[in-house]
Amino acid sequence: MKSNIVKILFTRFLSSLLTLFLLVSFLFIIIRLSPGDPTDKYISAKLGSELSEKIAEKFSLNEPVTDQYFSFVANVFRGDMGVSYNYRLPVFEVIWEYFSFTFVFATISFFLQMSLSIGLALCVMKRRSKRLDNLVTNASLFIYSIPAFVLGVALIYIFSVTLNLFPISGLKSLDYDYFTFFSQVLDKLHHLVLPLITLTLAGIALFYKYIKENMDEISHQTFILNLKASGMKEDVILKKHVLPNSLRPLISVAGVELGILLGGALITEVIFGLPGMGRLTVDSILARDYPLVVGCVFTAGAVMIAANFLADIIKLKIDKRLVKGILN
Amino acid sequence: MNSKIINLLLLTFIFLLVIACDSKQSNQKNRIVIGISADVQTFNSLFAFSYEEGAIADLLYPGLLDFRWNEEKGELDSYPMIAKSWQWAEDSSLIKFTLRDDVLWSDGKKLTASDVVFSYDIFSDPDVQSRLYGIFNQLFTESDGHIDIEKTFNVISPYEFEIRFPENSVPDLIKIVVPVIPEHVFKNVSREQLANHESSFNPVSSGAFKLKKWERNQSIILEADRNSFLFKQGQVSEMIFKVVPDYTSRMLQLKKGEIDLVELVKVEDVEELKKEEQLVVVPLFGREYDYIGWNNIDTDSFSRGKVKSNKYFGNINVRKAMSMAINKKEILEEYLQGLGELAASSVSPIFKSSYNYEVRPYEYDPDEAKRLLALEGWKDEDRDGILEKSMEEFKFKMYYPVGNPLREYAVAVVKNNLNSVGIEMIPEKMELGTFIDNLYERKLDSWVAGFGVPIPLDLKPYWYSDPNIGFLNFASYNNVETDKILDRLETKISNERKNELIKEFQKIIHQDEPVTFLYWTPNIIVYNNRIKNIRITPYGVLVHCWEWTLN
Repeated sequence: MKSNIVKILFTRFLSSLLTLFLLVSFLFIIIRLSPGDPTDKYISAKLGSELSEKIAEKFSLNEPVTDQYFSFVANVFRGDMGVSYNYRLPVFEVIWEYFSFTFVFATISFFLQMSLSIGLALCVMKRRSKRLDNLVTNASLFIYSIPAFVLGVALIYIFSVTLNLFPISGLKSLDYDYFTFFSQVLDKLHHLVLPLITLTLAGIALFYKYIKENMDEISHQTFILNLKASGMKEDVILKKHVLPNSLRPLISVAGVELGILLGGALITEVIFGLPGMGRLTVDSILARDYPLVVGCVFTAGAVMIAANFLADIIKLKIDKRLVKGILN
Repeated sequence: MNSKIINLLLLTFIFLLVIACDSKQSNQKNRIVIGISADVQTFNSLFAFSYEEGAIADLLYPGLLDFRWNEEKGELDSYPMIAKSWQWAEDSSLIKFTLRDDVLWSDGKKLTASDVVFSYDIFSDPDVQSRLYGIFNQLFTESDGHIDIEKTFNVISPYEFEIRFPENSVPDLIKIVVPVIPEHVFKNVSREQLANHESSFNPVSSGAFKLKKWERNQSIILEADRNSFLFKQGQVSEMIFKVVPDYTSRMLQLKKGEIDLVELVKVEDVEELKKEEQLVVVPLFGREYDYIGWNNIDTDSFSRGKVKSNKYFGNINVRKAMSMAINKKEILEEYLQGLGELAASSVSPIFKSSYNYEVRPYEYDPDEAKRLLALEGWKDEDRDGILEKSMEEFKFKMYYPVGNPLREYAVAVVKNNLNSVGIEMIPEKMELGTFIDNLYERKLDSWVAGFGVPIPLDLKPYWYSDPNIGFLNFASYNNVETDKILDRLETKISNERKNELIKEFQKIIHQDEPVTFLYWTPNIIVYNNRIKNIRITPYGVLVHCWEWTLN
C-alpha cells in the first residue's frame, strides 16, 4: 500500500511540474503577443526614444518571440526566471519579498476560517435550534455576498474613523522602532485585525455552509442512528463520528481555498496597503513587466498545486480506499 | 458549551481591546507625513523613473544649481546650490563653476568637482541607461550619446571646473544640470550592475535629508541631515512618505491627521475636504491638459508606409467644426466644477512671457460647425440624421483609456454634441498600455488623452512633423511654418525673440486646430495647515520642502 501511495504521489508530482511548465509557457507567449510595450514608460518629451530603445535591447525585447521563449525555457531549467524590468532585480528576489507576507497572512486567515467555521457548525448542530440555524445560515450568506472592498471600507469607517480603535492601513506604526518587543508584536497584530477580518469572514461563511450541510447529511446516516441507539453520548457522536466524516469532502475545497489565498488577496491588500502577491501581480501586469508577470503566475500556480497536493495527501492518509480507486 | 463560547468571545474582545489601546499613537513630532500611492523601487537618482522616485531622489541629490518658479515672468530662475557661483564666457562656449566647499556626503566625505564630472559621465553612459540618457546633445558627445569627458570638462581645482560647449550648440543650463552623485560610492561598481547595487537602496546623499529607514511598500523615512549645507535650525526633522495604494484610505488618513499632504485629489472630494478646518486645498493648473486627438493622416495608409490625408480629419475646416461642435465649457463646469481652464493650445498660461493671450479657445457654436462641415461637402442628403460625403457617412470611433472618469464623462458629452451636428461617434474604451501602444503606432483616428507640460517649455516632440523628432505628435500634424519655428527656437536667439516665436506658433496651431484642446486639468493638492512656509508652484510640490516648518 505504501509503495502505491508513493507511486501516486510521484505521478502527481510529475504531472504538476508539466502543468506548471505549460502554464508559464502559455502565459509567456500570450503576454508577449498582447498589445502594449514595457518600454513605453521610458519615452518622454525630455528623453526622446533613445532610452526606451536601449532598454528594449538590454532585455532582448526586439528579438522574435520564439527566440525569447527558447532562451526563457533554458533559463527556467537553470532556475532563473529573469530580471524584473521595473525592479531591476531577479524575479524571485522580488517575489520572495511579497510572498513572505502573503504566506503568513494567508495561513493565519486560512486557520481562522477553518477553526471558526467548524466551531460555529458544531455549536449550531449541538443546539439543534432551527431559529439559530436559520440565523447563522442567513448571516453567513449575507457576509459571503458582501464584496471585500465594501466590507473593508465599512470596517475602516466603523473601527478606524469613527471608533478610532484600529489603524486605517499599513503593517506597522511609524514609531514601531521605538516600541518594546511586546509592543511591536501587539502593533503588528493591531494592524492586521481589520485586514484579517475582511479576508476571513467570507471564508468562514463558505466553509460553514459546506461543513453544516455535510454534518446534516452524515447525522442522518444509518451508522449514526445505530450509535445513537447503542446509547453513545450525542457530544461524542458529533465530535468523533459526524465531524471527521463531514470534513473529508471539505479537504479538496480547503486545498483550493488555501491555494487562492496564497496567490494573493488583491482587494484586501490594496485597501489596507499591505505588501502581498495580489498587488504585485496586478502591478506587474499593468506595467508590462513580463518576467515578473510570469514569475507571479508561476508562484500562484505552484502554491495552488502544492495546496491541492497537500489536500490529496491528507485525503489518502484519511481514506485508504482512495488509493485503490486511483490505481484502478 | 455556551458559557465556553461566551468566555472565548469575551477573551477575544478583551485581547483586541488591549491591542487597540496598547499600540501607541503617532506622537506627530517634528515630522511631515506625505501620502503616496506607490512605493519607490530605488533611491538611485540614475534610475528614478517614477514621479515619486524622482521627487525623493531630487531631495537626496541636489544639482549644481537650484531652480525656482518666478510667478511674475512664468519661468524658472536659477539660484546657487552646490555651485556657489558660475561665469559664462562671452561667446557662451564655456561656463566656469565654483563649488561650495562645505558640501558633505552623508558618510562624511566632501563633495568635489570630480563628483560632478563623474555624475555627467555616468548619467550619459549608454551601459547605465539612466533616466537622463540621451539629453546631453548640447555637450561634446560620442556617437552613442556618452559625454566626451576630456573635451567637455576641465577640472581646475577640487572646487572649480569648466564645462565647454561645442560650436553652434545652444547651451541651456536648465536642460543639462544633473543631480550630483557620489563618485567614491559608485566608481568601483560595474556600470551594468548599478541598479542592483546596495547604494541604490541605501544611498549616500548630500541633500537636506538623508534616508533613515525604508520599509518596502510601507514607508520611506527621510531625516534631516544635520551636516548638510542646507540644514537650518527649525527644519522639519523627518519627512515620511507613507505608501497607501487605496485612494479612499489616503483621504480618510488625511482627514484623520495621519497624513499631512496628498497630491492628485479628485475634484469630487474637494467640497468635503474644504469643510475640514485643518486642511488647505490648492488646485494647481497648467501642467496637464486634456485634448481630443484627430489623426490628420489616414491610419491604414500609414501602416503601409504611405502618407495620405485622413478622410475625416485631414481637413482644417472639419477639425475646426469638431472643436466648435463640442461644449468644452459644459464638461469643465459640470465635472471639474470650474476647477480648470479652457485650453486654446498646448502652451500653458503658466508661461506668462510666451503665452499668447489673443489666442482664445473656439466657442461652442453648433450652427457654425454645421456650416463649416457643409462647406467641406458633409451634408445629410438622405435625411437619416448622419452627414455624408461621396456616399460615406461621417461615422468614426473615439478611443479613450480605462480608469479616467473625467475622460469617460467627456466622451459621453462629446458623443451627444457630435450627434446633434449629424456626426456619429462610437466611444471605445481601451486598456491604457494598449491605448498608448496604438498612439505610438498612429493606429487611431480619434482619441481622448492628456499631455503633461514640461518645464522649461518644449514643443518639438509634440508638434514636429518628422515622426522621429516629433515622436509625441500622435495626430501627425504637419506644417512647414511650425517646423521652422520649432527649429528656430533651438538656435541662439534672445528670450524676447523666443517668446515672440512661441506666440506665433500658438497662432498657427490655433488656425490649424490639429486636435481639439479641451481644458487644463488641475492637480489638487491638500495639506494640513500645521505645515507652514510651503510654496506650491507649477515647478513642483516637494521641491524645497526642507524650507517647510511646522506649527
